[in-house]
Amino acid sequence: MKTISKKISVLTFVLGTFFVAGCSDFLDESDPSNFTVENYFTKPEHARSSVNAIYAGMRDPMTSGFGGGTWMMTEFATGLAATDLGQAVNSYFVKDLKNTSDNGYGQAYWQAYYKGIANANISIAKIPAISMDAAEAKKLMGEAYFLRAWYYFNLVRMFGSIPLITDVVNLQSEQLRPAQSAPADIYNLIVEDLKTAEAAGLPWTDATGKVNMGAVKSLLAKVYLTMAGYPLQKGAEYYGLAAKKAEEVIDSKQFKLFASYNDFHDPNKKNIEENIFMIQYKTQIIPSQWQVSIIPYNKNISQYSDETGGIYSTADFVRSYEAGDLRAKEKQFFYTKYTLESDRTREIDLGGYFIWKHFDVTAQTSTSNSDLNWPVIRYADVLLMFAEASNEVSGPTSKAYDAVNAVRTRAQLANLAGLSKEQLREAVWRERWYELCFENITWFDMVRLRKAFNVTTKGFDNYVGHKFSYGPVLAEKELLFPLPTVEIRNNTNLKQNAGY
Amino acid sequence: MQLKLSAKQWVGLGLVIMTQSCPVVRSQTIALASMTTKQHVPVRQEMKLKNVLLDLQRHYGVEIVFEDRLVGTLNVMTNALNLNDPIEKNLDIILKQNGLKYKKTRKNTFIITENKVKTTETPKEEKNEAIVPTQETTATENLAANVSPDPIVVDRTVKGKVSDEGGAGLPGVSVVLKGTQRGTSTIADGSFQIDIPEGGVRSVLVFSFVGYKSQEVDLGNQTNVNVSLSPDENSLDEIVVVGYGTVKKSDLTGAVGTVKGEVLQERPSSSLNQGLSGRITGVNVSSNSGRPGGRANIRIRGASSVSVSNNPLYVIDGVILNSVDLQNGSTPIDYLNPNDIASIEVLKDASSTAIYGARGANGVIIVSTKRGTSSGGKVTYDSDFSIGIAPKKLDLLNSREFLAVEDQAYANAAKYDPAGWALGTKYVDPKTKRTNPLLFDSSGNPLYDTDWQKETFRKAFTQNHQLGFTNGNEKGSYGAFVNYRNENGIVRESWQKRFSGRFVFDTQIKSWLKVGGSLGYTDQNEKQVDQLGGGGITAMRQVLEALPFIPVKYANGTWASNRDYPGMEGGDNPLRVVNERLYFLRTQTMLGNMYGTIRLADGLEFKTTIGTNVINQRLDYYGGKALQYISASQNGAASVTNNRFNSWQFENYLTYNKDFAKIHSINALLGLSWQHIDRFDNTASTQNFGDDYFQFYNLGAGASPQAPSSSGTAYGLNSYFARVNYGLLNKYLVTFTGRVDGSSKFGAANQYAFFPSAALAWRVNEESFMQGIPAISNLKIRTSYGVTGNSEIPAYRALAGMASYDVIFGGSRNIGIGINRMSNANLQWEKTHQVDVGIELGLFNNRLNFELDLYRRKAVDMLLDAPLPLSSGYGSITTNIGSMENKGVEFAVNSTNVKTEDFSWSTTFNISVNKNKVLALSGGSDIYSGATVIRVGEPVGSMFGRVHLGTWGSSEVEEAKKYNSRPGDVKYLDLNNDGVINDNDRTIIGKGIPDGFGTLLNTFQYKAFSLTVDLQYMYGNDVLDRSIHSAEDRQGIANSYKTVLNAWTETNQNTPIAQVRPIAAGYTTNNDTHKVSDASFIRGRNLLLAYVFPSTVASRLKLERLRFYASVQNFFVATKYFGFDPEVSNSGSPFDQGFGLYDYPKPRVFMLGLNIGL
Repeated sequence: MKTISKKISVLTFVLGTFFVAGCSDFLDESDPSNFTVENYFTKPEHARSSVNAIYAGMRDPMTSGFGGGTWMMTEFATGLAATDLGQAVNSYFVKDLKNTSDNGYGQAYWQAYYKGIANANISIAKIPAISMDAAEAKKLMGEAYFLRAWYYFNLVRMFGSIPLITDVVNLQSEQLRPAQSAPADIYNLIVEDLKTAEAAGLPWTDATGKVNMGAVKSLLAKVYLTMAGYPLQKGAEYYGLAAKKAEEVIDSKQFKLFASYNDFHDPNKKNIEENIFMIQYKTQIIPSQWQVSIIPYNKNISQYSDETGGIYSTADFVRSYEAGDLRAKEKQFFYTKYTLESDRTREIDLGGYFIWKHFDVTAQTSTSNSDLNWPVIRYADVLLMFAEASNEVSGPTSKAYDAVNAVRTRAQLANLAGLSKEQLREAVWRERWYELCFENITWFDMVRLRKAFNVTTKGFDNYVGHKFSYGPVLAEKELLFPLPTVEIRNNTNLKQNAGY
Repeated sequence: MQLKLSAKQWVGLGLVIMTQSCPVVRSQTIALASMTTKQHVPVRQEMKLKNVLLDLQRHYGVEIVFEDRLVGTLNVMTNALNLNDPIEKNLDIILKQNGLKYKKTRKNTFIITENKVKTTETPKEEKNEAIVPTQETTATENLAANVSPDPIVVDRTVKGKVSDEGGAGLPGVSVVLKGTQRGTSTIADGSFQIDIPEGGVRSVLVFSFVGYKSQEVDLGNQTNVNVSLSPDENSLDEIVVVGYGTVKKSDLTGAVGTVKGEVLQERPSSSLNQGLSGRITGVNVSSNSGRPGGRANIRIRGASSVSVSNNPLYVIDGVILNSVDLQNGSTPIDYLNPNDIASIEVLKDASSTAIYGARGANGVIIVSTKRGTSSGGKVTYDSDFSIGIAPKKLDLLNSREFLAVEDQAYANAAKYDPAGWALGTKYVDPKTKRTNPLLFDSSGNPLYDTDWQKETFRKAFTQNHQLGFTNGNEKGSYGAFVNYRNENGIVRESWQKRFSGRFVFDTQIKSWLKVGGSLGYTDQNEKQVDQLGGGGITAMRQVLEALPFIPVKYANGTWASNRDYPGMEGGDNPLRVVNERLYFLRTQTMLGNMYGTIRLADGLEFKTTIGTNVINQRLDYYGGKALQYISASQNGAASVTNNRFNSWQFENYLTYNKDFAKIHSINALLGLSWQHIDRFDNTASTQNFGDDYFQFYNLGAGASPQAPSSSGTAYGLNSYFARVNYGLLNKYLVTFTGRVDGSSKFGAANQYAFFPSAALAWRVNEESFMQGIPAISNLKIRTSYGVTGNSEIPAYRALAGMASYDVIFGGSRNIGIGINRMSNANLQWEKTHQVDVGIELGLFNNRLNFELDLYRRKAVDMLLDAPLPLSSGYGSITTNIGSMENKGVEFAVNSTNVKTEDFSWSTTFNISVNKNKVLALSGGSDIYSGATVIRVGEPVGSMFGRVHLGTWGSSEVEEAKKYNSRPGDVKYLDLNNDGVINDNDRTIIGKGIPDGFGTLLNTFQYKAFSLTVDLQYMYGNDVLDRSIHSAEDRQGIANSYKTVLNAWTETNQNTPIAQVRPIAAGYTTNNDTHKVSDASFIRGRNLLLAYVFPSTVASRLKLERLRFYASVQNFFVATKYFGFDPEVSNSGSPFDQGFGLYDYPKPRVFMLGLNIGL
């Protein structure tokens, strides 16, 4: 009897202990591998790494493979690009002007850039509360503001009216399912953000690849130039603002054109001279991905296994360059022949004008691991922006001629001189098309100008009604890309762009 | 509840209960009570008879029952014994010396009796084998109470006789006064005598004997009790394991399926899931890969969840397997040696699964492993050897055909790409490429015609050896089991080797304390050549796509590759891939538990268990420097990944079992459970090797180390559970179950949830009105309703997690910390409501059994990785939105068609029909998962694509032009009639899950031979063969299916296959109806011929049992599906059942096996 009751009381005691222990903290678990928003943003180092995260989204669209690549979207939309990659249906939708909102490229852009914006928003919201060196905090905020502006600038140009989100979003936020804001509102934020970045005390250049003053002012120039044109059509005042910002960059004397086009794809020339701002890669650490898409389909010329033939120039575009233009010559901007991987002494014809501008010789012939950065803002672009904007404000000036002729001289072309304002305008546009092709710039120029380059006449057609050299005709709806299907589905407050 | 017992009573009580708990021990408890441990004694001299008998018992693996009184003092001469003779002969020799004899009862049991037994005393009763008498029919006879007039102090003596079903006296029957340790056993003629103390306690005698149903007799005032025991061969009294306990099958209120280990032995397989295929209604096992070890997908009553696991909960000897997301589609159950399984119970309805609360929604599979023996030492050896072959070859182009197709494609280039053709350089006449002297003769004809299926497949030899040592007695038992399995895959270079060992023990330490446990260890190494989801270059892809005119290797020993012929996609040949892409999965698992059971009082028991499952999995990978598309671009790539899974659980529960006056029976359970699960993963990888030599053994030798990674997660569960089974008059049974689960995975507001269920059963055949219908031997109607949960989301989903980002500055890696996961403080369990109605009917003494179940499962608050507007920066949030239902019917028939002395034929047929429908999703919008769509009103995992209408004919030029097509192009249905064919023209085109499935199994037994024909069928399921994308839709860059010979031409326009053309001219490829085919099938799952050697032969070989069998598994498949096997999925996505993509074919297996017991 005694033993039993003793047994039971011991048992009761033991169980009771377990019971209490079980209830108290057994269900408290914290993630040892990841911070949470609640326990981050406590140290100065957190400010830096928070801003670092914003940059990552720039890289996301730059993928390439057998499905094509997001970054090709705005290239195929120009009508100047061709592909042999039959299974990359998204490329064909854009190229053949049969685009739909299901296109994965548009969704990938939307997703990556809004994620970048969300990371910028959290930096902007949380960094001021971290106790740290004020100047350093200001610079970091400057980077964040610049990057948010850059993401919004791309999104607003691609998709038009888009959600304007500037706060950290959570499940209770009204901004979780936002309505669209008009482009003008988006541009206002972009300008505000860039002005804040301009005042953040950033250095003129940054060889490590971070946001710098050159980038801020150059982007501001481009934003003003775009605001001067479509869709806002703010006109002369903004041409003037654009010219002024571009001029500040030129006058800073911090940047210069490369002597050789080969420097565009020389890893030693990253983030210096002509390369004002770039998307950063490093071989073997985070190699860039586009090499497989700028080589022909299975011609066995590369160390890469996947030779996808994803994108190359139409022959019509390359043949439209002025006679003697160095850029159109073999292995300047384009290449049509290359040696076989199995026999580097044997050169074969590739059957098309492939893009040499972004060709990484080392990766293609030995390492299959590219070290190239992607250019975001090049000094040549700034020179041409200045030439275009100042011409709009004050007609041809010697400084405008200097700017455009610097680009032409490198192409071994004669200097422009004695042109009317209209002639110089078109000459600068043409130079932009020739110089900045396949750098995700041309299509944006087309829509801000509502003009398209006619490879046959070498003049400029109106955007709407322009016929691509391979047949399709641009319509009004192609001034914007469709909002991604999934986004419309998950946010019923959104309205699809007209025509999609 | 009677807790006021003396310590002495307590011990006695424990002893009695203990002896009753294990039927096998019962008869010996008294008779052999004084026996000590057995030692091996040479049987060549005069010895104690008792010892000789024990020796024989051990040697022959039989039960020998005797009274100490009879044999205790006797000695025998053993010189004449010959252990090679049958036991009967030896028993004769030693028993005759003392005027004893034996009687053989069933199940290898020998009862030693005196020779002078008078059988005439008992009048012969009518022998009735057909209907088993119930206990009540043998009620006691109340003979004249002419004895024991003194009711107060003196013990009275009760006498009586126990007879068997034939009326013959049954010796050795244990007779125990219930609730005491007082007992005796019957003597040779079955009679007994026992003294009963008079007192307040009602006196009940318990009669028990091995092989017979035990019986209790309430003495009342009787002094003479005659009892007839009935044999216990009624399967309804089978004990079924349920969560935290056992019940008699006849007392089940829920839907539970059982498979015994012996049944699994009929079709030896390397994993439990495969073994379970077709055994239980409602359990759909899809064996989706033929790789060694297989890769099976198991669903119990359909899928209940969209974004969390649909896998059942596995409980091995009470230990829950918690690990998920193991490498390459493996699951923890794959590492349990199926040879160790004694029985599997599948809990299907809410009544049975609710005891697992938040984790029971997908059904529960309870595995009981083999234990020690209580009747002395035993050795078993089971072994099988098999050869697997590829049962089918697909039709692929041969060399001549490939080159002709390539020529034809070139000829069509101008038609499909006039602009490119005009360039003049884009297309090259393939004839001009055929100059490589290694591949072509001088006139451009191919030198080789390689059959890559023949080269890649092989006859794969597999062997499996299981050795079991068990021993024990009524006080305790132990067992040790070792297994070695070496399985080779039919694709060269794929194999799996497993070594496993288990040790189990169960021991009655004190009368009130039982302790036991098991410890199992498995070391499994495998080389896998198949990849989940792989759309890149894989071995099985190259089997289809390697060029027929390249050899495996050239004369100089170098590998031949598609790249050797210009313009090809350039993957390496499959043999090079399997040889140079090294993927080794090395898994060590430890599964152990220990329990203690304490008897607190009559019927009240406390059990405490601690269990653990540790899995260490290491994945070693190396892709050779030259392997195109796999690792050539990395110049060789190596990685080593370690995943360490730990889980432990600690559970305590009280059970109370009591019958009241034969009217009420109660079985109650109350317990609590803690579990903690953690996981740690790390990976190191490197690239850029100077030499293939190092593989993954020296990561430092790679010049480009990649960023290492590691992560840790942990979660805990804190649970309370209770169950009450109440039976009234053994006819009406009720079960209430409830479990409260708390989990750290969920939001603070919702950490705890309650899961209740109730069930009702009516044993109609126990009603008196049924007694007049002898044909119906069993009729039970049961119904249940309950709620169970699913909580299998990763940990921390409720928290606002941040993630690390990489960014390059100044050429080096910098870390960013940014957004990752939106917090959801309201996150909680997914709940499944299930209602089940079942009926069990047994006819003609259960020779014909029917079981029918109807159920409806409705999942609500479904955990969804619900997409968020991407403008938030977040992709999705884990949240509780959505609802889905499964409705189904399960029907099974078991029939003994013929049963004679020598021949019997039995049939099992079952069918399970399940209809799945998504009822609600977040915002009503479709969710795309892999190539499937999840859409309200449709079954989950519906295939999604375009409607293929064939090809445009030459008469449709204008119409085709509207769709940017030409005659010869694929013609799709313009579903929304907008003049454009695009993603908006997609619709549901098939489904991978079947309408129904089942088994037809016939077993024929003739004397010692048995033949089993096991057929599996499935209908209403489709397969979308994605291999068609690369092996048919495009040509001329890799080999194709032979179907491309039927491509469109001017003279062959009625074809689904577009005109061939060079790849650069563009081609059409989509998931469409042409790729979907009806994959209903009937499979010859197993054809088994077994022979059990007669015991005389076995004894001569000094064996207890010797069985030999030969079988063919997968002996035929009848299906319309064109690919290797209609049961296919090559994706990690949970709903991609029926998606074929370069799948590893299932072998046809020819097996020889041997079962030895000694």
